[in-house]
Amino acid sequence: MNKIEQQVLQDGIHFRSVQDTKFKTFRLSVNFLLPLKKETAAANALIPFLLSRCSREYPDFTQMSRKLASLYGASLGSNVGKLGSMQVLTISAGAIADHYALQGEKLTAELTRVLCGAIFDPALENGLFRENDFRQEQRQTLEQIDAEYNDKPSYALKRCVEIMCANEPYGISRYGSREDVQKLTSRQVTAAWKDMLRTARVEILAVGNLHPAPIAGALQEAFGKIERAYRPVTETHTFHRLGEIPRVTEYQDVVQGKMVLGMRVAVSQSNQEELVPAARLMNTIFGGTPNGKLFLNVREKMSLCYYCGSGYHAASGLLFVQSGVEFANMAKAEKAILEQLQAVQNGEFTEDDIAAAKRSMINNYQTVGDSLVALEGWYLAQSLLPKVQTPEEYAEKVHAVGRDEIVQTAKGVQLDAVYCLKGQKEAAAK
Amino acid sequence: MSEMQEVKIDQTRDSYYQMRHSSGLQVFVLPKPESHSTYAVFGTRYGSIDNVFRRSDEKEVTRVPAGIAHYLEHKMFENQDGVDTFARYAKTGANANAYTSFDKTCYLFSCSSHFYDSLEILLDFVQHPYFTEQTVQKEQGIIGQEIRMYDDDPMWKVLFNMLGAMYQTHPVKEDIAGTVESIAEITPELLYQCYHTFYNLNNMALCIAGNADPVKVVELCDKMLKPSEDVHVERIFAKEPPEILKARVCQKGSVATPVFYFGFKEDASRRPTTAETVQTDILLEALSGDISPLFRRLLDAGLINESSFSGNYFEGPGYACVIFSGESKNPDAVAAEIQKELASVRRNGFDPALFADAQKAVYGDAVSNFNSPELLANSMITSYFAGRSIADAVSAAANATAEDLQKRMQVQLLPQNAVLSIIEP
Repeated sequence: MNKIEQQVLQDGIHFRSVQDTKFKTFRLSVNFLLPLKKETAAANALIPFLLSRCSREYPDFTQMSRKLASLYGASLGSNVGKLGSMQVLTISAGAIADHYALQGEKLTAELTRVLCGAIFDPALENGLFRENDFRQEQRQTLEQIDAEYNDKPSYALKRCVEIMCANEPYGISRYGSREDVQKLTSRQVTAAWKDMLRTARVEILAVGNLHPAPIAGALQEAFGKIERAYRPVTETHTFHRLGEIPRVTEYQDVVQGKMVLGMRVAVSQSNQEELVPAARLMNTIFGGTPNGKLFLNVREKMSLCYYCGSGYHAASGLLFVQSGVEFANMAKAEKAILEQLQAVQNGEFTEDDIAAAKRSMINNYQTVGDSLVALEGWYLAQSLLPKVQTPEEYAEKVHAVGRDEIVQTAKGVQLDAVYCLKGQKEAAAK
Repeated sequence: MSEMQEVKIDQTRDSYYQMRHSSGLQVFVLPKPESHSTYAVFGTRYGSIDNVFRRSDEKEVTRVPAGIAHYLEHKMFENQDGVDTFARYAKTGANANAYTSFDKTCYLFSCSSHFYDSLEILLDFVQHPYFTEQTVQKEQGIIGQEIRMYDDDPMWKVLFNMLGAMYQTHPVKEDIAGTVESIAEITPELLYQCYHTFYNLNNMALCIAGNADPVKVVELCDKMLKPSEDVHVERIFAKEPPEILKARVCQKGSVATPVFYFGFKEDASRRPTTAETVQTDILLEALSGDISPLFRRLLDAGLINESSFSGNYFEGPGYACVIFSGESKNPDAVAAEIQKELASVRRNGFDPALFADAQKAVYGDAVSNFNSPELLANSMITSYFAGRSIADAVSAAANATAEDLQKRMQVQLLPQNAVLSIIEP
């Protein structure tokens, strides 16, 4: 069975563990949360990639990789994400549990040591990240940004977010802009790393088949050596668009068009938080699953889109409808999607629809505990809320939502941006 | 009815149960009582490559249009009573889906409660096809759009360009969904014909992993499954020569950086064994994984990046190749480096310490795979259709030797069989 523990290591540093022996593996992740700002986003984004590359003890990529392979293919990973108006810098590690090592190796202790070495004791030269390491990671980040262009559905979503949230933190790319990444220096990233260790809010998660106490101890000791000057961040989200909503069409060498409708949802984690479960249900009924209105009507009945679905971001109060549409059908598809929204706002859904949406969401919450990555994601998102809840507790809340609350949250949804990606031939014809 | 047989995996302390059900269906259940979720997949050994075949009760060879297996998968979700299958699952709360690959079609769901109700839906709808002229016609629009969506995916295009240059006759080179032209030929009669040929329970398997009781699963099978007649299908493929068609294929596409697939065709007259696939995994880890000298050289030269470069083994009935793929400003230079490294490893073998680390890494992966009901159920069905077993993978990783790797290299990664496919801006 799983056992959840949490403790505060220091002001602004939280350690949370979910211990469960049903897993063959465990995962550790150290998440640094910083305000998302244009001036710092690029330098911050490079930090986790530089840290997970090597450390003073394993001073190049190959030595670090060999060390991890010898721990039965352990992983040391890095990620940059956005959560509301925060940038989340993650350094994570995972391996099979000690129990499954063939020669009784102490994998958890060893991997914790490697992880702490990577975060707190990187390979520096004259006090700075080494130029060669820095160049390598800068190049790879630029290539990651370029690669976003290749995956058209995600590219279209990214563009819609940028256009709709142009004047808000959420509109900043998680990697920072290409130009800002290009201008970086090793000195700036080293300074950002030190600043991150001192000031960031830190959420540490240890999940799976492990004993949390020694891990918490090792991290407590490591953070104890840092002179912390924690700067708490509070989520403030108010945005009122004046004038017309932005509509942008871009052209590329594509055969199928992509259309993304960006919407504002009045309910978010910083506004009427108690209605968030209702807003999630509203999204599920609208377009969150293959049983949602968008899939059943816009795709199946009207054959207007190959894919058509919606996603709601509770942290920022945003909702995006993504679709793959023939160029000629875009106006029709937009109208059809907005009609489905109108239908939800008018309460045109049955008790069965509500029950089905609840079952689908509760099913997802009940399975969070079966995946280490899902557990990490869950507790990281929860850590921003006034009260941390288990997926089971949250499932109860969803269960209790009534029709009126769903309609109420739907009425607070407003179209706020339209992005279309069309083919070159269309552009030439104009 | 035959007995249920328990298969133990000592290293991970798991067991699964397998049986040939009296209806003809092969059933596997891997119970994970501590898991909340259960994952079930009901699949047929019928994919996009099976377009020319002969039934054991017929003389004539049948040819059907490309893309029909995938089309059939889409149409299986409609039912005679007009209630869409997703709507039926909505009543149990399961997450349902389906996929068609080169060599199989699978219907699946995952759930955290009402497992047996969902399993009943799965077993029911897959056994009850219902197509009309009208519904078949309507699907052409949706699938046409799906084909166009893949046209815009450079990673999909670069793969099929490689397969097209590698295979002279084998249908693996054709798109799984077919073409807008080929699917226009599909009729309800053809769909029924393919259904009755390939959705014979003797040609299918049910694989379940998670919070499920094998005894109850079999009871439900007894209730739901109609015994299939003992008809077998012979799949007919034109003879595939061992040689590749073209060593390099390059196309312009909507990409920011060039993407490439660099594959090595190999003999595929029989499917590789479990031990052989695991040995190939270790070989790829040592040759081109994060720990390899090759990976480091390519990285230092700025020729690849960590997020996109990988080496994989891709194989099925009548086709097999090792593929290196990724993004690179200069794919030709990457291919040349890989060829150089292969020649050197063939001459000098692997450093024993490097081999040991590669082996440990693959062993760790094999153990980790037992975390996930989804991965387990899908691995069970893939392994069964390929004549392999998930039970042997963990021990095969522990027992592989450096000599095994050299032996694999005698039949795979041969320099003259390489094809480089590039999509460039």
